[in-house]
Amino acid sequence: MTKALVVYCHPSEQSLVAAVRDRVVTGLTAGGAEVRLTDLYADGFDPAFSASEWANHLEPGTDPSITSYADDLQWCDTLVLVYPTWWSGQPAMLKGWMDRVWVSGVAWTLPDGANRLRPGLRNVRRLVAVTTHGSSKFINMVEGESGKRTLTRSLRTMCHPLARTTWLALYGIDNASVDQRTAFLDRVERRLSRLA
Amino acid sequence: MLALIVVAHPSADSYCHALASRAEVGLVAAGHEVVVLDLYAQGVRVAMTAGERVAYHEESPIIDPLVAEHAALVKRAEALVFVYPTWWSSLPAILKGWIERVMVPGVGFVFDERTNKVRPGLGQMRHLVGISTYGSRRSYVRLVNDNGRRIITRALRMSCGLRVRTSWLGLHAIDTSTPAQRQGFLAQVEQKMAGLR
Repeated sequence: MTKALVVYCHPSEQSLVAAVRDRVVTGLTAGGAEVRLTDLYADGFDPAFSASEWANHLEPGTDPSITSYADDLQWCDTLVLVYPTWWSGQPAMLKGWMDRVWVSGVAWTLPDGANRLRPGLRNVRRLVAVTTHGSSKFINMVEGESGKRTLTRSLRTMCHPLARTTWLALYGIDNASVDQRTAFLDRVERRLSRLA
Repeated sequence: MLALIVVAHPSADSYCHALASRAEVGLVAAGHEVVVLDLYAQGVRVAMTAGERVAYHEESPIIDPLVAEHAALVKRAEALVFVYPTWWSSLPAILKGWIERVMVPGVGFVFDERTNKVRPGLGQMRHLVGISTYGSRRSYVRLVNDNGRRIITRALRMSCGLRVRTSWLGLHAIDTSTPAQRQGFLAQVEQKMAGLR
């Protein structure tokens, strides 16, 4: 059975991204996955990597207050990030989850004298991003799709060597019609129900 | 000109703070007015709040007085110098959040209702500078992409005018770097900033 961790990040329940989250969960469940949902804003997650975390960043494990986030990450085989793309990347809240949860002993290890991290999340075999962009696909291409690359390259290197990535994005949301939004939601649910 | 140095590191005695100090020395030597925004020390909120998200689409998108203060400085600045450690190939959350919360409509860009297009808001900006440290080697950073650099030199650059210049200074593989390399990089940063016109 697929074990899916959905990490959702948006400050407002009225947003399209909140609707996307619901369809992601519906799709995953219909596909037979066991789903755990993390809502960073609702949790009041603190996204600031602290001075004490910095001082101990080579010690294994997260800050004691956020170990459950690390447990979820080590439990899942499918990681789904649901967020709006802002300034061509993940929102600060979600970036903070990466900075604080993907730490030594969870996402990687760094042997003495090495300057290359060893992957720690071999359990993760699929990475999925479902995101919305205010600007067009062309503008995002020129900007270099940094959020996409942070996920499919930087984070992926800590996962299973054969981990697959899936990118589901709605571009130009500022000018998108109701039909385009509906079609995107349908596409997301359909795709997430057929991940395996 | 006014140069803003934006530092994003949780530890006041970090190498990044040393880099920021040397950047400041260089800019002052070049005769510029310098303001340092130490995001952690100032207790800047990291993530955009629900209230800010709503305000984003309204007349006055800034509701936090500290953000208003920073936005006023950004509007006057002709150089933005970012000093930060690269984490997960990108900006630390607090710096990403600073861009999201400060570069709102009316500051970073203007949303043109007539054409539904975004117009640059930082037309006065002459320099965008990044100074970053990397745990990884240069070749690895190239492979996964330097996404923090892209956010600054591409996404943020689009909010500036055509005459803006971008420059980048990076120290790679910092975990295995020698004291001489770190000293050399500090000197390089000061020298480069002293040459900023």
